[in-house]
This record gives sequence, C-alpha cells and structure tokens, in this order.
Amino acid sequence: MRKKLWGAIAFAGALMTSVSAMAWTLEEAAQPYKGTNIKAIFLDRPGYAAAIKLLPEFEKKTGIKVNYEIVPYENSRERQVLDFTGGGEIDVVLTDVVWIGEFAGNGWLEPVKTFTDDAKLADPKLNLKGFFPILLESFGTWGDEVYGLPFDNYSGLLYYNKCTLQQAGFDKPPATWDELMNVYAPKLTDTANRKYAYALQSRRGETQSADSFMRVLWPFGGSLLDDKFKSNLNSAQSQAGLKFRQDLMKYMPPGIVDYDHAEAVNALAQGNVAMITEWSAFYSTLSDPSKSKITDCLAVATEPAGPAGLKPALGGFSLGVNAQSSDAKKAASWLFIQWVTSEEMAKPYIEAGGVSGRTEVYKDADIQKRYPFVAPMVASWDGGVPDFRPRFAEWPELSEVVAEWGTRMMLGNVSIEQGAQSIGARMEEILGQAGYYDGSKPLRK
Amino acid sequence: MSSGTQPGTPAKPAVFPTMWNNKRAAFAFLAPAVAALALIGIFPTVFALVNSFRRYNLAKPRDPTPFIGLDNYLTVLYDPSFWGALGRTFMFLVTVVPIQIALGLIIALLLHKPGLSGFKLLARLSLVIPLATAPAVAGLIGRLIFNRDFGVANAVLAFVGAGPVEWLGDTTNAFIAVALMDIWQWTPFCALVLLAGLTMVPTEIEEAARLETKSRWQIVRYVQMPFLLPSVTVILILRTADILKMFDTVFTMTRGGPGAATELVSVYIQRVGFRVFDQGVASAQAIMLLILTIVLARLYVKYVYREV
Repeated sequence: MRKKLWGAIAFAGALMTSVSAMAWTLEEAAQPYKGTNIKAIFLDRPGYAAAIKLLPEFEKKTGIKVNYEIVPYENSRERQVLDFTGGGEIDVVLTDVVWIGEFAGNGWLEPVKTFTDDAKLADPKLNLKGFFPILLESFGTWGDEVYGLPFDNYSGLLYYNKCTLQQAGFDKPPATWDELMNVYAPKLTDTANRKYAYALQSRRGETQSADSFMRVLWPFGGSLLDDKFKSNLNSAQSQAGLKFRQDLMKYMPPGIVDYDHAEAVNALAQGNVAMITEWSAFYSTLSDPSKSKITDCLAVATEPAGPAGLKPALGGFSLGVNAQSSDAKKAASWLFIQWVTSEEMAKPYIEAGGVSGRTEVYKDADIQKRYPFVAPMVASWDGGVPDFRPRFAEWPELSEVVAEWGTRMMLGNVSIEQGAQSIGARMEEILGQAGYYDGSKPLRK
Repeated sequence: MSSGTQPGTPAKPAVFPTMWNNKRAAFAFLAPAVAALALIGIFPTVFALVNSFRRYNLAKPRDPTPFIGLDNYLTVLYDPSFWGALGRTFMFLVTVVPIQIALGLIIALLLHKPGLSGFKLLARLSLVIPLATAPAVAGLIGRLIFNRDFGVANAVLAFVGAGPVEWLGDTTNAFIAVALMDIWQWTPFCALVLLAGLTMVPTEIEEAARLETKSRWQIVRYVQMPFLLPSVTVILILRTADILKMFDTVFTMTRGGPGAATELVSVYIQRVGFRVFDQGVASAQAIMLLILTIVLARLYVKYVYREV
C-alpha cells in the first residue's frame, strides 16, 4: 500500500514537472510584454552580427522589439557607465569580463536570480550548468552571484598559415612559446620581403594590456598581482615572460605597437605573417574568402604552452539586465538574453558567426567538423585561467597604466625592470586608495 | 490731452518708453543666444568648477562626494603624466601653428593676386573641404594615409625611392604624422582668415607701394603685414584653444600612443575623466587648461595684436 502511495506521488510529481516544462513557452512568457521596446549595446564584431541575424525570429515569436546600438569597444564602457549614472535607456547590458566587478558591485546589474526564481520568466531548460564553468564564472559571476549569461565568448587561439609552415618544413604548429621563438620564427621571418613569423597585437589600450602584456605573464608562471594584491611584475617568472615578448619582437612586423586586432588579423589574412594569437571570434573573419587570402591554408591550434603550461588568453562578454530598467523592460530583456544564449539557439548562433558558451553544442560532430577552431577552443576553456585579467572595479584604471608602460617597454623607452617597477608602483597606489590594503575591501579579483 | 502737451507745440520724444521698447527688443533678440550659451557653456563650466573641489568618481556612485578644497589641483600639480602631456601639447603647438600660418600666408597671397578669378573661386571652395571634415574622420583618414603597408604616405616615398617609413609605430614619426594631419586640416583656415585680412589693405596704398618698390617681400612686410596682425592674433588664439582641446584626431589616429608619444593634454584628461571616471581631478585639469588658454589669449593680444 505504502509502495503504491509513493509510486503515485512520484508519478504525480513527474507529471507536474513535465506539464510545467511543457507549459512554458517563450511566446506565452512574452505575452504580457508584447510591444515592449528594449535597448541593447552591441559591438561591431562577428558575435553581434550573428545575434542581429537571429533577432527577427525572437521578435516574431515574442512581439518584443530589440533595438541595438553598435559602439566601438573602446567607448562601450564609457557609454554604459554614463548611462547607469545618468539614468538612461540601456536595458540589455553588455559586460566585458573585466567590468563585472564594477557593474555588479555598483548595483547596476540585476541578479539573474530575480528571473530564475520567477516561474513565468524562467525557461525550465535554461540549465546554467550547461555553460562552460570558466565562462559563467568569469563573465557572469561576481561574489557567488550570477549577473549575466555568457554571450560573446573568446579564447585566445593560435591561428597559423599551414602552407607557409609546411614550406618552411613544419608539419604542425609550435607546441610551446620557446619552440615558436627559437625553432619556428627564424625560419619563417624574411625581413627583406616583409614576411614575419608572428604578430602580437599591442596597440595602446585594452589591446596592449589584455592581448599583449597579460598574454606573456601567465604561461611563464607570472601574474600581475600576488595573493596580497601587491605587484608581482618583478618576480622572476613575470620578468621572464616580459623579456620573452621583447625578444620575440624581432620576428614581428615593425610598428607592432600600433597593431590592433584588425591589423594582426589582416596581416595573417594577407599572408604577411605566419602566425597570430587571436580571439576565437576572429575565425569567421579569417575563413571568409572576401576578407582573407589564406582560407585554404588557415589552421587553428591552442596557444603555445609556456613553462607553466597552457595558459591562453581569456575574454568575452555576458549579457545582463540593467537594474534601473522598468519591470516590463527587465522581463523582456531577460527573455531575450535567455533565448539568445540558450542551448537551443547555440547551433544557429554558431552558424550565424557567433561563438556560443554552451558545452553541449560543441559535442555535435557536424559543428566540430565545420568549425576547426572548436576543439582547441574547448581545450583552452577547460584549462584556462578565470582571472586572466583581474575583474575588480579598478581594472580599467590599471589597464591604462599597463597600456602606457607596456608600449613604452616594447619601444625600448624603458627597460623591462623599470617598466615593471613603474606599473607596480602606480598599481599599488591605485589599489591602496581603493582600500585593498587596509582591509576595507575584500581581496576579490 | 491727458499727456499734458499743448496743441501746436512739438511733442517731446517719449524717451523712456522708446528705451524700454529698445531694451525689450534687444532682450528678445539676445535671450535665446544667452540661454543657449548659459545651458551649453556657462552651466557646464560652473559645474566643472564645483566638481574640481570635490572628490567625485562617476564609477563609484556609492562613495561620498565631499568638498576637498584644493586637493584635486594639488594632485594635478604633482602628476608627472599631466605635465608630460602638457609639454607635448606645447611642442605640438609650436610645431604646427607657425607652419600653418606660413603656408596659410602663401596661399592667401596667391589668392589675393589679381586675375584668374574662376580658378581662385574654385581654390577657395576647395579650401573649405578639410575644414568641413570631422576631426575624428580626419584621424581615421590619417590612419589609412600613414599605414605602413598600403598607406599613401609610403607610396609617395616609394615613388621617390625612399621608405617605407614606420609612421604610427614609432614615437617620433607618430608625432609627425599627427602634426601633418593637423597641418592639412587647419592650414586652409589660416589661409582664409589671412585672405580676409589682406582684403582690408586699401588698394590705393598697395598700388602706391608697388610703384615704390618691386620687392614683393617689402610689400608684405611693411604694407600688408600690419593689416594682417589682427588676423594672426585671431589665428593664434583659436588654434591655441583648438590644440589645447584637441582630442578626436589623436584618439582615432593613435589613441595617444605609441607609449605616450602623441598623448596630448586633452587625451590625457579624457583618460582621467572617462576611463578612470575621476571627475574631480579631470575637472581640475580642465579648469587649469581653461585658465592657461585665457592667459595665452591675453598674451597674444598684448604682444601680437596691433591696430593699424
């Protein structure tokens, strides 16, 4: 009798769960918000173009109109901070991995829990655990609270011209940074014909601090800060990484300190350099015959490993909801974010040129076959460093210091040691003023 | 009758009502301009002045914003990066403005010569094109012109057997490239202002001078130059103010780099104000820059300006 009772309860429970799961549809959830206009901030990058391609489907299903403004990356934080402080119009917030501490810490982002606790808004198939843990933790989480869902996801990858490598006698890419500089680079550099082995985008700005400076710290066992948030730049490991970058410059195109992403990608696409380390998002550019001359020779691998192992660059953006938006706009924004980052939309998003943060889609044999960047990217995300760049609110200020002195180092205006000392002193001054050393702020990065 | 004037005697002019009407008319004409100026000029300046005495970071909305006296000004005074940027800006000023005035004068004198009126009209119109270009666009064009691999600058150098030059990746060359773009954009302005100054020279004096001497230089130096001094003063004041607040071209072209090679003072203030969001220190920097501009303008008027 008792067995039957438990069986009935279990059956009823399962039935109710499945009914509620079946009951939730995007169309019905969006019904109260039909005609709502929401505003999102997008960048001029492939992941956003992909989302724009998919937008009509969402708008047709929900009747919610998603307006978007495309801003240059360098202005996107300024645009949003001014909007937050001035009481503006943005509903869907774009959060770079290095802004999550600032945006969430200031209360500008609505915690995801607000929506996941609301059965009318939460898709039962949301499955937060279906995101790569490193992405959800880095871009979306601050202090154990989730504020955004990974949307435009990057890992640093080694893109190379396999034809050029083969002509130089290499049938595989370099596995380590040491190999890249000492074995591959001499054979791939022909300065007379303006052909270079490698290009590292190093233009002043976040490109210098994130793509160039930080990229050479981690693989060599170095880091920006130690456990007590003091500068670690003059440690033997950090110095080794920075010195390595300086030595590698002789195999890079002249004027590399003025190379941004576009120039580095273009240098490989035009066949002027043999290898670059760039974000996964640029695969669609490099494999597009209208933008690249090397589509047949393009190959992708993980970034080379250093003495500390594989420590590739990590970057990307989450989408979150502005805490100051009206309730209706918050709900409509959440429905959009939940939909565009869903497991269901992961494949269409990739096919439209985006890079999804969902694990499941990359197990698809068809996706693996069509997109050669998938395997190295998944390997990178499985072994990456979540705090590749500190995510606290002071990072933009530190980034300015690193960008200025990092380029000065590369130009030879200051020595590696002097540059590291200057950055360290300025950095500690900023962090001291912020309250990290007197215990008024937790050491969270 | 109520006015008290007798028939046959001429009516006294109604002084007060006329003055009142005139004042009302003047007020009506001036009010919109004054209101607009107050809204977009005076209010932000006063707001910046108040902010310059407060600790105020936009990105830290939970922090208090107390008045801290002159602390922000002291921070600026002891900031080597600010002085570095200011020094670079003056270097830029003394590099580009004399060249712009010299080239502008040559163009103005050519356009002032009699004859070829159709050609000169075309030349005058084409001078407006660089002026009409948005500075941010000029910076983007500069980025293409000085591209090492496919830029026009290196193509021209290759044509004469020189180069290629690393323009934007080298500290000195990047400074030169930004200066060249500024010279391209603002020389026409100098030419047009100087041309307007040349039209002030009475033709009879110019003709008399031509009968006295055949030296072109002497006519420029002793006849035309005195009439040009007010124009030169205007150019100096406006170009100084422009260069002290020059941001768009540099930001789009080099972003202040490489290193800090092209970080002019406005680029630095933008970094402090809109990357670090320290409105207090950025406002103090901006106010100091405003004072500097006013002082320089007074010096130009005192030492350069002469009434003819």
